[in-house]
Amino acid sequence: MRPPSPSIPEKEFLFSSLKESLRLDGRLPMEIRAPILTFGDDLGWVECSLGKTRVLAQVEGKMVKPLPERPFEGMITIHSEISPMASSEYEPGRPSDEEVTITRMLDKVLKRSDAVDKESLCILAGQRVWHIRLTLHFLSDAGNMLDCACLAGMVALKHFRRPDVEVVGDEVTVHQPTERAPIPLAIHHTPFCFTFAFFSDPAIPPVIDPTQLEQRLSAGVLSIALNAQRELCVLQKLGGVPLDTEEVLKIVNIAVQKAKELNNIVDARLKEDWAGRKVEVR
Amino acid sequence: MSRLNGRQPHELRPIQISFDGLARVDGSARFSFGPIAALSSVSGPIEVRLASENASQATLEVLVRPLSNVPATESKALAATVRGLLTPSLILVNNPRTLVQIVAQALVPSGSGTGLDPKISNASAVTAAVVNASTLALLNSGSVPMRGVVCAVAVGRRKDGPLVVDPDAGDGALDAEGCFAFMFTRDGDDVQARCVWTNWKQGSGDEGVLSAARELASQAAGDVYAAIHANVEGMVNVKPAIVVLPTPKEATVMEVKKEKEEEMEIKMEF
Repeated sequence: MRPPSPSIPEKEFLFSSLKESLRLDGRLPMEIRAPILTFGDDLGWVECSLGKTRVLAQVEGKMVKPLPERPFEGMITIHSEISPMASSEYEPGRPSDEEVTITRMLDKVLKRSDAVDKESLCILAGQRVWHIRLTLHFLSDAGNMLDCACLAGMVALKHFRRPDVEVVGDEVTVHQPTERAPIPLAIHHTPFCFTFAFFSDPAIPPVIDPTQLEQRLSAGVLSIALNAQRELCVLQKLGGVPLDTEEVLKIVNIAVQKAKELNNIVDARLKEDWAGRKVEVR
Repeated sequence: MSRLNGRQPHELRPIQISFDGLARVDGSARFSFGPIAALSSVSGPIEVRLASENASQATLEVLVRPLSNVPATESKALAATVRGLLTPSLILVNNPRTLVQIVAQALVPSGSGTGLDPKISNASAVTAAVVNASTLALLNSGSVPMRGVVCAVAVGRRKDGPLVVDPDAGDGALDAEGCFAFMFTRDGDDVQARCVWTNWKQGSGDEGVLSAARELASQAAGDVYAAIHANVEGMVNVKPAIVVLPTPKEATVMEVKKEKEEEMEIKMEF
């Protein structure tokens, strides 16, 4: 069931405080919520939270026959269905607008941007390839599920290790994780997504990483996916407030800075988790 | 007979309970038997779709989502099961024409094929974790009146004979297994358990095996109930609602605090 629209006092309070660059949770307009990454026991299981927004990502791999038109490439599928756990406004079986947007954006950011090298997923050309399945579960919706999902998905792909496979002629041997250390996926680059919310009143500055209320009261949203090497993957603006080029470039520069910071955080966290695991015995 | 980590036949894996505090749902909780974890959320009573509206009681809707892939037949079966065993414990007539929505998320890959041996399945343990997490979420939300608390455990019979509680990969392939759910009601200090559901499957043997398994499960479920009871007390953060002014009147401040404590104590009995 759709929740009722925000009340007039909420709307007026939010707009007047944003005009003074004060956000309701105390952040600066260009400050994202600190991401908290929790890794599970299995490799490829990550729970990412941005404030109260939480997304769980899980990666698993299976060996399958490749598509006949692409015999040298592996396959990556992304499942991202929003359950009523995120909020009772999401009904099972009926994709809401936001879910469709998130699915399309995830497809562009994680698959079409070639973040993961598909050719390295090939085991035996034309017969066996890896099918990597990424499943995202939206546990809690406190605004900006898209950024949280992209981050969780990307970190899960970086965290995942697939079993080592040996090919001799036509024979394929899959080594168990106890025999040979599993190997990571070949990741070309790490795209991160940043969402900016714009409001109809030109006196209100754009805000990054909007909360639930800010997202509902915004007049337009701009999402940018880029990596720490200043390469843009996706720039999505679905209607909303018209922006001139200077504003857009300013936003892109801010996103570049945030991407570098986020990249450092993610790397540090992955290293920390890796140090606590016994995966290889050398 | 040796089990992994030196467990006794009646001993469960270490139970972990936490309350996630998910935004936009009324209650949520996480329950795990060792590594087998499940997260459940409860929203209700909320607005119901006209098609599923019931004029005399609240509609209970349970959704189960597996960890990987889209929900399929197994999830629908588990959801119907959980719905069946939670219905007797909830007093749904108090809120007619509303919806109580429970969403359970398995946090480990369920079914067979987990770990190294494809024949060993952790489906029963996942079922038990889902039921317990849902119970905890209902307690956390505090918005649906309950008759009792439903706790579930998995029981299996090893190939070398003995019945064990909460079987894991170390117990090997089992020739009989299932999950038992008990509803615990409390009258002062007197706790009673009644078996409300089971999906015990055995290849050979007679009813004696089922009774023995149920007896064993009842004791283990008592342990689960004790763990739930202990954790729910810590669920409520007692933050006094008064603001201490610069020149407080000590007496009135202490009185209000004591009243709040008494209130909390009354709510705790269930």
